[in-house]
This record gives sequence, C-alpha cells and structure tokens, in this order.
Amino acid sequence: MSGRRDREARRDERLQEEQQAGTAERRQRMVKLASAGAFLALAVIAVLIVISSGNSGGDSSNIVEAKEVDQLLAGIPQKGMVLGDPSAKVTVLEFGDLQCPVCKGYSEEVLPQVIENRVGGGEAKLDFRNYTIIGPQSKPAGAAAIAAGEQGRGWNFVELFYRNQGTEDSGYADDEFLTAIARAAGVSNLAKWNRARKSKDVVAQVEATSAEAEELGFSGTPSFALKGPRAEGVEAIGTPESVDALESAIENAGG
Amino acid sequence: MPTMKAPAEGTLRGIATFLATFGIGVATYIAIADSSGGSPVCIAGGHGCQTVAESSYSHLAGVNIAIFGIGGYVVLLVCALLRGDAFRMTAFVVSLIGFGYSLYLTYLELFTIDAICQWCVASAVLMTLLFVTNAVRMLAYVGSEP
Repeated sequence: MSGRRDREARRDERLQEEQQAGTAERRQRMVKLASAGAFLALAVIAVLIVISSGNSGGDSSNIVEAKEVDQLLAGIPQKGMVLGDPSAKVTVLEFGDLQCPVCKGYSEEVLPQVIENRVGGGEAKLDFRNYTIIGPQSKPAGAAAIAAGEQGRGWNFVELFYRNQGTEDSGYADDEFLTAIARAAGVSNLAKWNRARKSKDVVAQVEATSAEAEELGFSGTPSFALKGPRAEGVEAIGTPESVDALESAIENAGG
Repeated sequence: MPTMKAPAEGTLRGIATFLATFGIGVATYIAIADSSGGSPVCIAGGHGCQTVAESSYSHLAGVNIAIFGIGGYVVLLVCALLRGDAFRMTAFVVSLIGFGYSLYLTYLELFTIDAICQWCVASAVLMTLLFVTNAVRMLAYVGSEP
C-alpha cells in the first residue's frame, strides 16, 4: 500500500514540476515577445515624431509660390496693409499672426476666392492687422509686413510669408527669412524696408492692432471684423468658416 | 533581498479601466472642441489651450492627434476588460507608444510651442499612469494563467 502511495506522490510531484517548467518556459517566451513589442513601440514613436516634425517651409534659401501670389494680387491696388479699391464700401479687417498655421490655412483656402470675387470686383477691401499671439518672432514679422506695405507690397509679403511658413515658433522667422520674403515679395528698396521695420512707429502699430483685437474680444487668429454701411461700427464676426460665410457677411455689411 | 509583491491582476485591470475611460473623455473633449472650429478651454484661464490647439503639432497627417488618442484609449480599455496574454501585451505596447508620444508632446509644449494646455497635460498624466499599470501587469502576470 505504502509503495503505491509513494508512486502516486512521485507522479504528482513530476506533473507539478513539468507544469511549473511549462509555465516558466511560456513566461520566458512571452517576455521575449513583449521586449520585441517594446522595440516596435519605440519605432512607432520615432516615426510619429519624424512625421510630426517634418513640416516643410521656413527655408529662407527656398522661397516658393512668389509667382502664384503675384497672380492672385495682380491689378488690385494696395495701400499700406489695405488690399483693394480704397472706395470699396466694405472693409474686412483680418487680425492675423504671420506665424499662425491656422491663418496660413485660411489664407490658402478661403481668402483667394474672396479676393477674386469681392476685392477684385471693388465691393470690399481687406485690411491686414497684426494680432501677435504665437511667439517672440511674431511681432518683428508683423512689423516687417507693415514695412513692406509702405512700399506697396504688404499683401505680397503676408501671402508669401504664409506660403513659406515654417514650423510654428521654431525660430525660423529670423532676419534672414524676413529679408528673403521681402525680396521675393517685390519690396524694391530693401534698405528702406529694413529701417522701417525696426522703427518705433511701425512696432507701435503692431502693438496697437494687437490691443485692438483684444478690445474686440478676439482671443485667436485669424479673427475678422467688418466695417460697412450696414455694419454697426466695427463689427466683430470671429472666424467665418468658409468662403460663403465670409462673403455673406460682406454682403450683409454692404449698402 | 525583499521583493515587492505586485497587486492582484484584477486590481491592475480595474485601475486601467478607470484611467482609460477617463482618457477617452479627455481626448473626446479635445477632438470635439477642434472639430467645432474652436479649441479646448483652459479651466484655469489663459490662452495655453488655444495656442497648443492651433500649433502645427496638434495634427498628424491632417488628423487631430486627439483622434489617435481616443483610438489608443479605446484599445487600452478593451485590453483592461479582457483577460489573457494577448491583451496584457497589447496594453503594454499601446500604452508605451502613448506614453512615449505624450513625453514628446509635453516637451514640445514646454520648449517649442511655449504654452501648456491643461487637457493635454491631463492626457499625458493618464497615459503615464496607464503605462505604469500595464507594465506591472505585463511583467508580473505574462505567461501565467489568465
């Protein structure tokens, strides 16, 4: 009887050992697999970072789309930062930050049609006003646009800046980049532009329009306001989300 | 040398379920705020959330990263609810990706965008806790019976 019990006990022990060995082996295999998973995860993170930081633009040695901007603005009068017929009934005030990617999107997707349909036709004029909220280079960039406006190339500067915009607030909008934009925008007297953009008067204009945007209750860019015969003073309209929305706001403000 | 005993797997799964559910809420709020043309509102005030939401880093290949966040949290919630090695490992890998990318985004907020969005920080904290929870679950229980 005792021999049988011993045999059974030994068998149980063996089975237990086998089970433990199986579990340990399985666990080892799983940990190896998890390590491979961790490497895979790190590779995915690296790819995501590369995609995220792979924004083109902000390259002063490669300013693009100057021709397209020239075509968009061809034949439309410019004075200071105002684009369009000075006698147009409606004034669209655009409060923007040249470093703002949403403004870039708006400038490429909404404004071209509005410029073609309403500004080119003399119904409205567009007035770009700086609302510098992104970073330290926003103010000098805005001043550079106003200085270009003094030579009748303000809108060329703004549009070209947006089309060559770099990664947000990454330090790309330095003197070299601003000069490259001014040159490509057709600013003819660069020495004069250079003096003007650093003048107290121009810098004060950037600060004044930023304060004006806050007084109008804006907290982001681009934000719009309208002046017109049927508008009540300066009417803040926020950010119309489509060409139609902005055009109907212009119609409502018109006489 | 004394060793620390890991909490019961059920406890870890419960914690992960709570964190992932909370994460889905936070990421959904950010995604809805973006899709309605605005940006998340910082509870403590300030323009941090708007600045971060308007930065080019808020989108990956044209898609708001909060959408990827929702996807990640949903996967983590499913893994927390289900038993077995496949879910232990998937939760570990997905939370590691979320944790690593959250670290990168927090670095961007601090040193590149120069603005802090409380909602993004909340998500980063949740993702960090999820990574710790899922790493403990994986290390302590992988290979054992479900």
